Amino acid sequence: MAQLASIILYCLTQLNGERTIYSIFHLLNGKKSSQTIQDAHLFSLKNFFGVYEPLSRESFEEIIQWMQESEWICNGGEQRFLLTPAGKSFLGNHPLPEFLNGWDYHPFTTQFWERLSLFIQVTSNLVFQESRYIPIQKNKHVHQWLKSVLKEIKVPRKEMGAIVYSELVECFNDANEIDPSLLVFRLTGFQQIGLTASQTAKRLQLEYHDYHIGFLNTLHYLIRKISDNATRLTVLAMLIHDLKQENELTLSSRKTQKLLNQGFSPEMIATYRQLKLSTIEDHFVEFALNVDDFSIDTYVDSELQTKILEISNHSATKKLKLIREKVPAATYFQIRLVLAKYGDR
Amino acid sequence: MELESILEKHFGYHSFKTGQKEVISSILAGNHTLAMLPTGTGKSLCYQLPGLILKGKILIISPLLSLMQDQVEQFKRFGEKRVIALNSFLSTEERNHVLSSLSSYKYIFLSPEMLRIPFIMRRLQDLDISLFVVDEAHCISQWGYDFRPDYSKLGDIRQKLGNPLTLALTATATSKVREDIIASLRIEEINKIESTIDRPNIAMYVENVPDYHDKQDRVIELVTNLQKPGIIYFTSKKAAEQMASLLVDKGICRAMPYHGGLDQNSRILIQQQFIFGQLDVICATSAFGMGVNKENIRFIIHYHMPMQMESYLQEIGRAGRDGLPCIAVLLHSPGDEQLPIHLAEGELPSEQQIDWLFKRISNEQRLMDVRVQLPNSFKELGGFSDIQWRMVEDFVNSPHRHTSQLEELQADFKKLIKERLIVKKKNIFQMKKWVESTLCRRELILQYFDETLSGKIPFCCDQCGLKLNDYQTGQQTLTLKENEQLWKDYLAKILTNRELSK
Repeated sequence: MAQLASIILYCLTQLNGERTIYSIFHLLNGKKSSQTIQDAHLFSLKNFFGVYEPLSRESFEEIIQWMQESEWICNGGEQRFLLTPAGKSFLGNHPLPEFLNGWDYHPFTTQFWERLSLFIQVTSNLVFQESRYIPIQKNKHVHQWLKSVLKEIKVPRKEMGAIVYSELVECFNDANEIDPSLLVFRLTGFQQIGLTASQTAKRLQLEYHDYHIGFLNTLHYLIRKISDNATRLTVLAMLIHDLKQENELTLSSRKTQKLLNQGFSPEMIATYRQLKLSTIEDHFVEFALNVDDFSIDTYVDSELQTKILEISNHSATKKLKLIREKVPAATYFQIRLVLAKYGDR
Repeated sequence: MELESILEKHFGYHSFKTGQKEVISSILAGNHTLAMLPTGTGKSLCYQLPGLILKGKILIISPLLSLMQDQVEQFKRFGEKRVIALNSFLSTEERNHVLSSLSSYKYIFLSPEMLRIPFIMRRLQDLDISLFVVDEAHCISQWGYDFRPDYSKLGDIRQKLGNPLTLALTATATSKVREDIIASLRIEEINKIESTIDRPNIAMYVENVPDYHDKQDRVIELVTNLQKPGIIYFTSKKAAEQMASLLVDKGICRAMPYHGGLDQNSRILIQQQFIFGQLDVICATSAFGMGVNKENIRFIIHYHMPMQMESYLQEIGRAGRDGLPCIAVLLHSPGDEQLPIHLAEGELPSEQQIDWLFKRISNEQRLMDVRVQLPNSFKELGGFSDIQWRMVEDFVNSPHRHTSQLEELQADFKKLIKERLIVKKKNIFQMKKWVESTLCRRELILQYFDETLSGKIPFCCDQCGLKLNDYQTGQQTLTLKENEQLWKDYLAKILTNRELSK
């Protein structure tokens, strides 16, 4: 579990005892709550957002337990954990997966994999001129996508396989930090069925959690590589050209945003939507994080903004309470807005 | 055109399997038909081929959603695109789309609960139906092991659709069940085509293992020596998982577990790996097998006793579809019947759960004239499993309910549950009796389905002197070379066709 452990250790370092251990669980799960989204930004943990969606609470707790027994972390009370010297040195010796980009890619990582695996299976069977086979992906949307893409690709069917092969090899060839086997052995082709995740882990002698992280790292590497070289990788580019980053706001925030754009104040929106003011404030913090042209100047004057940032940087904390003690003129809402807007930079 | 040439042209087969031609001819001659064909004889061909000749639609009622998807895919693979499945997997949007273009399909698969929806029934009534197919027809009978209350309404449905030409299909039905099917569908004259359920190339062997704990070791011995590929059936997921890792860790063979607890993607991959010979052995629960068309399975081992003779027959029937010799081994230890009994009880709602449910309904004053609408939250609150809850819903929606008084309903439901448990236990004891018998296994199975054995066959069963040695494998090879393969070679192998580029 070295790989997953180093991610958790890194998260704990960033959180610095200011959040509970479960904020990491929610982060890895990609929970779409204001709190988790803010934490991801505030503590610069965006890369790990949603990189382990299937992780269960039980497994997570077991891992934490194990890390505690290995004396890499110690319990600081209230479910807050800190790194021990052993934990720090472990983290130093186990670099983080380099290509994880959870924040940008997690909304379509699964979709990308479904597309890629079906696309390879179909291409392989085209190459071997086989039309009777069971598609290994059942998702109807992916089937529809494939149909339309096959029409668009203007490559002779018989050459498709060779082109896809050379494009994939080009992607993987100059990646020293990545083992393409993690992904390649899971692909299905003509009369050759791909391995399941657990089979691949076993074959490559990887622990299951680490395999999962490594697989995702490889997928994210591939997505990045394809989008950076989309003009050259003409066939693989079809896999991602319509995968856009969704608007990352929660549904409820979007409603609030609409009302805000009509000129309503936070209080009026709360009354109108019959929600607590604190909920609406959460939404505003989300805007500060995600909406580039959202200005917080209306809610915090610039002098106060500077002061809050200074205190935060100076005492190296994101704990609202500590900041508030030193800037009594600011409300919690104002502090959160400032940290959300500028705290990450 | 002759039937054979249609078969060859559309399906690529040269000849029919047992019973297929008789069934198809009977339908084309306009006779209602009840067909009992052994597992693995391609029942779907019996309506797919007539569909190429008959003018109107072919309606197929099937209770198994997963199987339905398989069948639709199978149709498509053989180039038949005018096929659709109407079931609860479809979103409302998809369903509306399908319903509005229903007339463009030739083969329409339906799950029985879809027939409960009046709007769908009206759409079906507008169609010109050439053939009404009831798949897994034994589900109609409450004597069947897999009774589905929804199925008992098919007689009404048939009538509402104008009594179309009907084909009832089943693999395993005793004569009592067959009578029930005919009565329930309200068909007066029916052509019965009952090919024997016997599969002479499958030898049967029951082995007593005095201590249950020795079963794992025995399986390892068996799997080491028997010709592969094979399937080992378990009643519990955990036992299946354990056995699979044991076989792999000891280097006996390439094995994987298969059960309902795996995600859909892994299930598809494992099934396909087995079909393409990348795995030697599947350690499975009864979830494995439907829709798996693999010809060369050489053994079936039962680690646990199945719940009834019908399941046993279905499961061993997956072996030897190529007609070559193969063996079914059942391992039996004293007290083995406890597990299936326990399971049978667990499938039914308990007395306490029923009491709780009805108390809750009356508290909420959800008493209505015809139909009690059950909120789904009750399922969780009452701790009902999926299977239990299906029984509750089926009962509540049953057309045969004559009362709206809660107390009477409650009593009726309890009575139904009790009856189901009696049937299930009877089936288990039937199975146990067979296991413990000292008579010819084959003869007893045939007897159960009201058949008689026409003549002695050479490799029959343990009681007739069968030796397991005859099914041993000659070679002891196991090298997992592919582990050394590099990703680039693998990729080249699936994406480039050397013969083509020459």
